[in-house]
Amino acid sequence: MDWFAGAWAIFRKDLRIELRSRYAANTLLLFALGALLLIAFAIGPQPVSARVRAALLWIVLLFAASIGLGRSFVAEYEGRTALLLRLHTRASMVFAGKLLFNLGLVALLTLVATGVFMLLLGTSVGSPGLFAGTLALGALGLTSVTTLLSALVARASGGGPLLPVLLLPLLVPLLVSGVGATRKALLGQRWITAQDELLTLVGFAGATLSAAVLLFDYVWAE
Amino acid sequence: MSSSSQTALPVNRRLYRGVRGLVVVVLTGVIIAGFVGEIPQLDILEQSARNLYFHVPMWFSLMAATIVSAYHSAHYLRRGNRVRDLRAREAARIALIFGGLGIVTGMVWARFTWYEGTGVWWNFDPKQSMAAVLLLIYGGYFVLRDAIDAPEARGRIAAVYNLFAVVTMPFLLYILPRQMPSLHPGGEGSPAFSQTDLAPAMRWVFYPSVLAFLGLAWLLYTQRVRLSWLREGLAAPASSAPVDGEQDGEL
Repeated sequence: MDWFAGAWAIFRKDLRIELRSRYAANTLLLFALGALLLIAFAIGPQPVSARVRAALLWIVLLFAASIGLGRSFVAEYEGRTALLLRLHTRASMVFAGKLLFNLGLVALLTLVATGVFMLLLGTSVGSPGLFAGTLALGALGLTSVTTLLSALVARASGGGPLLPVLLLPLLVPLLVSGVGATRKALLGQRWITAQDELLTLVGFAGATLSAAVLLFDYVWAE
Repeated sequence: MSSSSQTALPVNRRLYRGVRGLVVVVLTGVIIAGFVGEIPQLDILEQSARNLYFHVPMWFSLMAATIVSAYHSAHYLRRGNRVRDLRAREAARIALIFGGLGIVTGMVWARFTWYEGTGVWWNFDPKQSMAAVLLLIYGGYFVLRDAIDAPEARGRIAAVYNLFAVVTMPFLLYILPRQMPSLHPGGEGSPAFSQTDLAPAMRWVFYPSVLAFLGLAWLLYTQRVRLSWLREGLAAPASSAPVDGEQDGEL
């Protein structure tokens, strides 16, 4: 099978299954909404600093991703379809398809969570371009790390609670740079001031994505 | 490493005894010289400069253990030799131990230099926080290992996690701490080991101390590998017991 066709087929399969049950998307969005509401209640009406706002937004995104993205590989093992995929496709196609699907979920999560966040906390963004760029780069890094680790955790018997334990320490660089750049975007600073953070985000996404592509073969092989 | 992994016991005994003797002698000397030796008196640092002989070598040992662990994980993925998995695991354990010791010695040092007079033990200096995250990553490595029952899958999944974590470590240890204001040497605007923070007289204790702590880490590591190798042999059925040892080529 052509590589692109294979990856696209796996993406379409996941998307179709997701559209039937909407389990992953609903879990993600409801978790994010619940967490944001809790934050809004806990903070109350008084304004908080840009750093705290940026930190809260990123923590909600990271926790929602660590809880909601673990399903896709577990479902392959539970439904006994992993062997079928192994027979018909190469590992890299499976990884690319799942990565694309997870990227869609994370993009949806980021859009909805950010919108609700700004609505609830009444935040205005000083420089929208920098804000969107930071979130996009962060979403890419978040997706690549989460996709590989969810494939690892799917092989473990414990399952669920293991993913956040493994994921959160690895995402610390993403969190630190993401919060730094988001804070500057909320304050309305220019792109050039967030250069260090953005370059770190690009490097993190690139490094984790390349490592994930190289290592996925060993996770997927029996 | 590869030569010693091909003997029946995964360590060369003569080498082990030689290193053990050297480490005992040199570390004793380092401890005596470190606590009672002459050190140059600098403002703020004063007597706490003695911690250099202990804190910094512990971080070097952590780095060495991290690299050894990743090296054996990569080999395990390539060939599937059981002893590589054990080596990666035990090196990760040594990394946890030396990382923990490095954090404790670092906390004590920071308490009496950076935070003197404030009573603060921990104030989220980037180097300290990132070191704590590094320990969390290795903690996750052991949790992941415990969650998988089949030895083959456990070794492979743990090796993948180990290598993936190593990819993110440069961000934690080198990139981020340099972007943030830090009091730690090697941070923004304060180079480590320049003329100002390592007096020539201290090098005579510091360099042997680095070698001795690396040797100590190696001794602990090889003993742990031997122990787990024997355990594996006892637990496995007689037919597949690792008596021949030479498995590197056949798998």
